[in-house]
Amino acid sequence: MRRTTRRGIAVLATGVSAALVLAACGGGDDEGGGGSATFNQGNTSIVNPSDSKGGTLRMLRTGDFDSTDPGNMYYATAWNFSRLYARSLLTFKSVGGQGNLEITPDLASGLGQPSADLKTWTYKLRPGVKFSDGTPVTSKDVKYAIARSNYSPEVMEKGPVYFRQYLSNPNKYKGPYKDPNLDNFKGVETPDDQTVVFKLSQPFAEFDYLATIPQTAPVPQAADAGAKGGVNYAKGVVSTGPYKLDSYEPGKSIKLSKNPNWDASDTNRKQLLDNIEVQLGVAPDEVDNRQMDGSAEIDVAGNGVNAAARSKLLSDPELKKNADNPNSGFLWYTAISRQVEPFTNKDCRIAVQYAVDKTGYQNAYGGTTGGDIASTVMPPSLKAHQKFDLYPNNNGKGDPVKAKEHLAKCGKPNGFTTNISYRTERPKEKAAAESIKASLEKVGIKVNIKNYPEDGYTGGVVGDPKFVQKNQLGLMIYGWAADFPSGFGFLQQITDPGALKGTGSSNISHIDLPDIAKKFQDVVQLKDEAERNKVYQEIDKAVMEDASIIPMLYAKNLYYRNPKMTNVFINYGYSGMIDYANLGLAK
Amino acid sequence: MTAPIETTGSEAQAQPEAVLAGIERKAIQGRSLGQIAWLRLKRDKVAMGGGILVVLLILMAIVGPFLVGDPNQPHNDLIDPMLSRPKTGFMHSGMSADHWLGVDLPAGRDMLSRIVNGAKYSLLISFLATMLAVVLGVVFGVIAGYFGGWVDTLIARTMDIFLAFPLLLFAIALVGVFPNSAFGLEGNGLRVAFLIFVIGFFSWPYIGRIIRGQTLSLREREFVDAARSMGARAPYILFRELLPNLWAPILVYATLMIPTNIIFEASLSFLGVGIIPPTPSWGGMLNEAKEVYEIAPHFMFFPGMAIFITVLAFNLFGDGLRDALDPRSSR
Amino acid sequence: MIRYIIRRLLVAVLLLAIISLVTFGIFFLLPKLAGQSTDDLAARYLGREVTPEGLAGVKAKLGLEDPFLVRYWEFIQGIFVGTDYKFGTSVTHCPAPCLGYSYRTNEPVMDLLLDRAPVTFSIALGAAILWLVAGVAIGVVSALKRGSFFDRAAMSVALAGVSLPMFFTGLVSIWLVCRQLKLLPTPRYHEFFDNPALWAQALILPWITLAFLYAAMYARLTRAGMLETMGEDYIRTARAKGLPERSVITRHGLRSALTPIITIFGLDIGLLLGGAVITETTFSFAGLGQLMLQGITRSDLPVALGVTMATGLFVIIANLVVDILYAVADPRVRLA
Repeated sequence: MRRTTRRGIAVLATGVSAALVLAACGGGDDEGGGGSATFNQGNTSIVNPSDSKGGTLRMLRTGDFDSTDPGNMYYATAWNFSRLYARSLLTFKSVGGQGNLEITPDLASGLGQPSADLKTWTYKLRPGVKFSDGTPVTSKDVKYAIARSNYSPEVMEKGPVYFRQYLSNPNKYKGPYKDPNLDNFKGVETPDDQTVVFKLSQPFAEFDYLATIPQTAPVPQAADAGAKGGVNYAKGVVSTGPYKLDSYEPGKSIKLSKNPNWDASDTNRKQLLDNIEVQLGVAPDEVDNRQMDGSAEIDVAGNGVNAAARSKLLSDPELKKNADNPNSGFLWYTAISRQVEPFTNKDCRIAVQYAVDKTGYQNAYGGTTGGDIASTVMPPSLKAHQKFDLYPNNNGKGDPVKAKEHLAKCGKPNGFTTNISYRTERPKEKAAAESIKASLEKVGIKVNIKNYPEDGYTGGVVGDPKFVQKNQLGLMIYGWAADFPSGFGFLQQITDPGALKGTGSSNISHIDLPDIAKKFQDVVQLKDEAERNKVYQEIDKAVMEDASIIPMLYAKNLYYRNPKMTNVFINYGYSGMIDYANLGLAK
Repeated sequence: MTAPIETTGSEAQAQPEAVLAGIERKAIQGRSLGQIAWLRLKRDKVAMGGGILVVLLILMAIVGPFLVGDPNQPHNDLIDPMLSRPKTGFMHSGMSADHWLGVDLPAGRDMLSRIVNGAKYSLLISFLATMLAVVLGVVFGVIAGYFGGWVDTLIARTMDIFLAFPLLLFAIALVGVFPNSAFGLEGNGLRVAFLIFVIGFFSWPYIGRIIRGQTLSLREREFVDAARSMGARAPYILFRELLPNLWAPILVYATLMIPTNIIFEASLSFLGVGIIPPTPSWGGMLNEAKEVYEIAPHFMFFPGMAIFITVLAFNLFGDGLRDALDPRSSR
Repeated sequence: MIRYIIRRLLVAVLLLAIISLVTFGIFFLLPKLAGQSTDDLAARYLGREVTPEGLAGVKAKLGLEDPFLVRYWEFIQGIFVGTDYKFGTSVTHCPAPCLGYSYRTNEPVMDLLLDRAPVTFSIALGAAILWLVAGVAIGVVSALKRGSFFDRAAMSVALAGVSLPMFFTGLVSIWLVCRQLKLLPTPRYHEFFDNPALWAQALILPWITLAFLYAAMYARLTRAGMLETMGEDYIRTARAKGLPERSVITRHGLRSALTPIITIFGLDIGLLLGGAVITETTFSFAGLGQLMLQGITRSDLPVALGVTMATGLFVIIANLVVDILYAVADPRVRLA
């Protein structure tokens, strides 16, 4: 992940907390409005299930979507939102609780059929699906969608490029804007109108996860041409979902209305509302207050409420029962650069692991409802997660004695000076950086805080090894959630030496251990999920032994669950935010 | 950025003739203008109050940081882990015997210490920026006023352009595109130097115009003519004849520019382009408070009051100084 | 008269050219002088993995490799005759006056400016009327009743007014009026044509906060000006002629005391129209000032450039209007 609110996949907090929540709300299917709602009810069940129709859902957002174009988006909130008007090949199941992590067919009629070598994946399209203009969806539209979103960096620069990474491309196809003849694109084949075949250059056991990405939602080539095409397609997306995009004014508003040609056999979504209106560019505390005062229903950014509203929600039992505090699947962490002196020495890294005060970090992110103190790379929301703590430091409060021991071992008994970076637009990261500075200064490590714009933070700042060295960024504040909910989805980008490239790598610690690289190469050839999870746990331990990532918090968000909304549940397939595709309004 | 010009209607300072008459009656010996001004200033209780406050504030900025402890020391134990705001104190401010003004959030740093340390930067930047503006303004103002002709036209037009520039926007833009390290400086050192430069460089025309006007009228005076006729060269006339007669307006406008510059620096920090956190600054504290003042109003109140009191003190003193030095203004 | 106006217009155009060149220099030259390569700059605009093709695409799209003067020329050209922009296969014509496209959203900068301008204009114009009326009235009354209780009270408040930073009074007023006393809802902007009542309701607090600061300054200025004028010889002459006091004050005193106020007013209103940054930030209104801040923090240079240019234009127009008003009112000015 390169951006915090991007993809995050989290299975419900397993074990104890889940059980407690279940016990507290007495199961998942209770009927009725806000009157009987309980705190965290949306974590495990669908709240206010109803088929009541009509109304306009008013959504708010402080910033803007990275795009409304399903091919050109990367934030989890955009992926969640796109499902209102775009159907990808597969998606996550619309049920309450951790069941929604299960991949389920959407535009396709079933899961992918892999070849024995895991290098060919075949999907059959569901018959009878139409675009909002009435033309039938064919496999060519899916192929075109993949081609434009992954092979045209000059136009579509915002989305992930997994398909370019995994699909074979023998004749160096340059994207449909430069080469409109799709026959030259060999990575996807369409033997007939209902069949899509993906040809991979390497085996990949988890390809079905990629098919859930909105980039697989069909795009008619004719609609993506001329003045209305390219970047402007975001304003004229041709819908396959229950709603269609009427207008998008960047920074201002998005308007959706019912799509008359939606295929009602779609079980992953509901078409209950007449209209959906998103107001963009609304001030943060206004977003919070308006959800609660009734002049809007939901914050579509999906980051949860801010400090003032958090305090209000949690201290008033009447409000608190309409709040959910799910795991978001994010790990807030601080990366230690293995290239910057003196962190080339492992003991200097371990000293920092012991010295940091994670409770200060927790306060910065909103206290106990902002996240739980972390000790592993993989968050507990992943099936592959295994709890361990190699550097126990007084329940996260810091252990200066141990830290000094390791400082002495690395030859810096009196400490040293280093820099820490954070993203300008993020006050929480600023507070986190200040907290790290304060706790490291206790053991003699002097820290200078530097901030950089959010845009390009991964691209040109922490993800650029030359920049990191030039500016001596020993410590870098970062956050990560998986693009898809597997150990691979979480770990590969941030820890795989194979993910290191010139610039723009999310492996910002610069982990280059051949042992870890080998494990990543092998694991994608294992067909059995349990076996893969074991490998992911080994990788997690190896990274922690290397001490180049300081896990700080397993993030949680606090949402206000507006009692007027029906069919509300937390979708762990999309960073544990409220599922947008099934919402309705109570009469 | 308009320099405040008039004063509060204080009776004592509003009767200069009477004051002067009183002085003349009591003591026959001649007094210099400076002595007269000082006598008048002393009788202006409001201005003296402002002056004393200014001295106290400067003392606080210099000595204070050694007395109040580390402004960046977090006190996580004082913060409610659930609501992430101070657990105790009046209106959840965290006020206690150890923390007179409470603590901030989310880190629980001592507000008093941050405000006292903020004073250091606020005053440092506004003083040095004012000095820069005064030096530039006096040099260009005197040159324009004394030489006249195309030199004057050039400088006067330049000053007009400066005054027409969207100053705050430019400052934001400059800080925004300026790199993190340059001239062997980096981080806050560089930022402080840069802020001094930006604030000083963009505000010199305000004082420049006044000095130019004063020089224009002084140029025609007899003593300048006398010096010129005796063969004195331009530098001599500028520094020995004109400058000593300009110190009064320089002092007055410098004093009145300081509060304007304090607000300017605070505004930039409030907009997030000033002092780099966690180094404390009043504007920066208000920036942080903006997100949470609803649950912690003290976080907004104290830094705001710090700016208000400081700026007010300088304005009171500056107004009084002007009245004492410039008989015209209190006619 | 016509010649005078033409001369002022030419000066205004020259000023605008200087402002645009300086602004352009700050945005496009300074980063290069500071040692940032075009790759560094381009990488800022790539959301995902940075590849050589991606960098080349961005550089070509934004023209990062072109020399400074070429880019400045293209910019000026865009303003007068429009430009063609290429996005993928499609070519978009940006008609004159074209200020370029946002690097981030691909919206034409002109559209963004037009979109945000009503917010800023609403704030600035409403507040300007308030502060001009209140400031001048208080200043005049204070000067005429010098030393009275009103004078002292008004000048004390005015001194406090110029000493209070606006972002502080703004925050306190929201906290007090909207949160504690709940007299008004939290200000959120409404379009005037949508609902004038809500528009005014949303703007009351920003108007008052902004006008308070300026009214304080104007009251002090007006009082000083009035005191000075009323001491002049011609006022004594007017009185000696036996003109009624009312006419002395309005016809003679006020007229010359207000002249410098109008000059400053022209400058202030021009600057505010280009973005009441602090008011907008304090009240979270999405006006031109916020657009500028956004442009700066997101390295969206064309947007920041556009706002700065617009502000320069407003200041110059305001000055021009003031100059022409002077010339109309006072024939001597035309000769100056």
